[in-house]
Amino acid sequence: MVIIQQQRSWSTRLEGKKKRLAEVEHLVNGVTIPTEKIVDVLELLIKPGDRVVLEGNNQKQASFLSQALVKVDPERVHDLHMIMSSVSRPEHLDIFEEGIAKKIDLSFAGPQSLRIAQMIEDGRLILGDLHTYVELYGRLFIDLIPNVALVAADKADRFGNLYTGPNTEETPTIVEAAAFRDGIVIAQVNEIVDELPRVDIPGSWVDFIVEADEPYELEPLFTRDPRHITDIQILQAMMCIRGIYEKHGVQSLNHGIGFNTAAIELLLPSYGEQLGLKGKICKNWVLNPHPTLIPAIETGWVESVHCFGGELGMEKYVQARRDIFFTGKDGSLRSNRTLAQLAGQYAVDLFIGSTLQMDAYGNSSTVTKGRVAGYGGAPNMGHDPGGRRHSTEAWYNMMTSQDELARGKKLVVQVAETFQDANTPVFVERLDAIDVKKQANLAVAPVMIYAEDVTHVVTEEGIAYLYKTDSPAERREMIASIAGVTPLGMENDVKRTKSLRERGLVAMPEDLNILRGEANRSLLAAKNIDELVQWSGGLYEPPTKFKSW
Amino acid sequence: MKQAWLFPGQGSQYGGFLESLPTHPTIQETLDEASEVLKKDIKLLATAEKLKSTKNVQITMLAAGVATARAFLNEGAKPDYLAGHSVGAFAAAVTSEVLTFEDALHLVSLRGELMESLQDEAYGMAVVVGLPESVLIDITQKFHTNEKPVYVSNRNAPQQLTLSGHKEAMQNVLDYVAGKGASSAKMLNVSTPSHCPLFLPVQDRLAKEMESITLQRPKFPLISNRNARVLRQPSRIVQDLAESIALPVRWHDATSILFENGVRQFIEMSPGDVLKKLAKNAFPEADSYSVEKNGFNDCLYLAKNEGV
Repeated sequence: MVIIQQQRSWSTRLEGKKKRLAEVEHLVNGVTIPTEKIVDVLELLIKPGDRVVLEGNNQKQASFLSQALVKVDPERVHDLHMIMSSVSRPEHLDIFEEGIAKKIDLSFAGPQSLRIAQMIEDGRLILGDLHTYVELYGRLFIDLIPNVALVAADKADRFGNLYTGPNTEETPTIVEAAAFRDGIVIAQVNEIVDELPRVDIPGSWVDFIVEADEPYELEPLFTRDPRHITDIQILQAMMCIRGIYEKHGVQSLNHGIGFNTAAIELLLPSYGEQLGLKGKICKNWVLNPHPTLIPAIETGWVESVHCFGGELGMEKYVQARRDIFFTGKDGSLRSNRTLAQLAGQYAVDLFIGSTLQMDAYGNSSTVTKGRVAGYGGAPNMGHDPGGRRHSTEAWYNMMTSQDELARGKKLVVQVAETFQDANTPVFVERLDAIDVKKQANLAVAPVMIYAEDVTHVVTEEGIAYLYKTDSPAERREMIASIAGVTPLGMENDVKRTKSLRERGLVAMPEDLNILRGEANRSLLAAKNIDELVQWSGGLYEPPTKFKSW
Repeated sequence: MKQAWLFPGQGSQYGGFLESLPTHPTIQETLDEASEVLKKDIKLLATAEKLKSTKNVQITMLAAGVATARAFLNEGAKPDYLAGHSVGAFAAAVTSEVLTFEDALHLVSLRGELMESLQDEAYGMAVVVGLPESVLIDITQKFHTNEKPVYVSNRNAPQQLTLSGHKEAMQNVLDYVAGKGASSAKMLNVSTPSHCPLFLPVQDRLAKEMESITLQRPKFPLISNRNARVLRQPSRIVQDLAESIALPVRWHDATSILFENGVRQFIEMSPGDVLKKLAKNAFPEADSYSVEKNGFNDCLYLAKNEGV
């Protein structure tokens, strides 16, 4: 055999990177980019057509770098392919209006959902695809490998080591994808210090740090003021606890961010305690540090919480409860969005969230016509990972067949009131997502959670145990029986409901020994933010906008 | 924090409203300028009696918006964006200096005349509160005929929509929606079915008129009525001014685009506070003010200090 030695380089990426680094040598001090030089440096480091990951995280935003990127000269830097988990700041789309970027792949664009829809329609932005978080992170290592990563950290030392602390979120994932494929990693930091509390990302993964003119933006997205929890939400929470958590023995779980699930968190120390469920359900969580979880933690319900990100005001509380949360040697929280999403997908018994629209078979969506909003974490965690092998009581409990190869199922629960408002039924024949697919020219309709994954639907009328049937007709009947006076609900008749109840396919509150009259706010372990602060012994420091005293 | 100034359209006027404008030399000068162009005292057009004429409403609303905004500009306030509802868009265009005040006065006079020429007691507008757009469109299509047309026109809020068309057809829709959960459904006291295809002739005539007008680049970007785009090109701005009369005003989308662009302060120019209320409902986390209700000096302070 003759091996022909080809004259090719096997390190073109590295050579390219070195060339780019050499171009900015005169502007930087070692690994530090002077704050006022950032635009000049970006113009040299980023080349037309580059794939650029900009950390527009769910919470933490690389706001200094995104503002700088809008200012680069479109003559020099253009046709960028942006990859962003969350498109939430105006300048994220200004980059497209200025002609700097052309294409985008993303997960969530809620705060810019009308603008992005307009820009797709006007041909000013090419939408690659809408992804779940894990999908997008996965593609960073497959076919969306970045040339440049622009990320945010709290602190750096002079070697470029980063401290991302409670708001680590997706930073390590993005940095890893760029750093180990000879991409360029630039981190904005709130401050450069001599000694870091701990190293979350080693300096050898980072090419440059730049001190931001102001701290990165962070929004308290997961704080729900218990004052806004309604009696109906409390009724639904009681049904979930009795008819799902207790019934199936749910020990590990993720909660959505709605008031429905905040109500469940606040009922554990009261209603859950009365039922004697402590230690039997809700022990291991994948969840942001929700302030409404404080009473359950304080009363010993919670064994562990792994977090996607942090939550403003919860820093000291988390630090003081390190038996519960994942914390570093320095004491502060370590979050990780990628790993938390994976944990929420594969390792928990249950995902529960609310929806704005559901069709008669259980497909659900939160999109609005004319808007392109993408997804949050729901589609990741709100599906049954078919590859799962390990068994837990709740997972095993979903098994409905005697087949020798039968397996269990992740519990995916959708909670909704039958009407969004007086005239907008949640239950519809056809999801708005189908129109959005056409309007935005998407390959598939942006369905949040697919019917085949939904095991339970909960309304103020009752629970439909969808996992118990494979028949589409029966699913429709079950959902109709809890759909109230929506058009779908009107299909239902009393006799059929009676039969569904007798066969255990649906349950009304009375079937679960829940008296509707008992569902009221007096059951909440904390009725307002102030009471959450009291439960925390003053450790929880809510942002000003949540203070009412 | 970015701010947007909003200019109200027909419906916010009331008898004597030009007398109630803030006391400010720039406002007086602007009204004087209008009187000179019109060759009559503009304040006399704003009496309850005279405001029965659409043309007079158009002219006086334009003048009030321009006068108030100019006073703000002269005091050193500066908007990031402007948006006007229907005829309010002309005031926005003048404030942005795309059009001269004089040209705009002629254009809205013409607009008013054309609207009046198509005026017919059998036609008008109505408002429906409490139903989403898609539901109301379906219902409206049931009652629409070529002889007695009815259209969903302005989208002021997700569930505050107007109808334009033949009064009988509109009444049928109103009767129907009353039983379908609308919390309010009533005729408006106008006999001009604006913002629907019935006004296509007005659109054409206005567009022709605008061809001969000299345009400047806008000093501040504007949001279009018909499709809620951020406009920076003079040609697209006048196109929107001409076309919007026969197309729905997508006001909720227009303010949503402002919000998505980072606007957190809305200030409604005189008169009235209709747009302030819509903004307040749509964006509770933003600050919304109206010059008439919150006062000129307070609004000016907030505008200059970006809400503090």
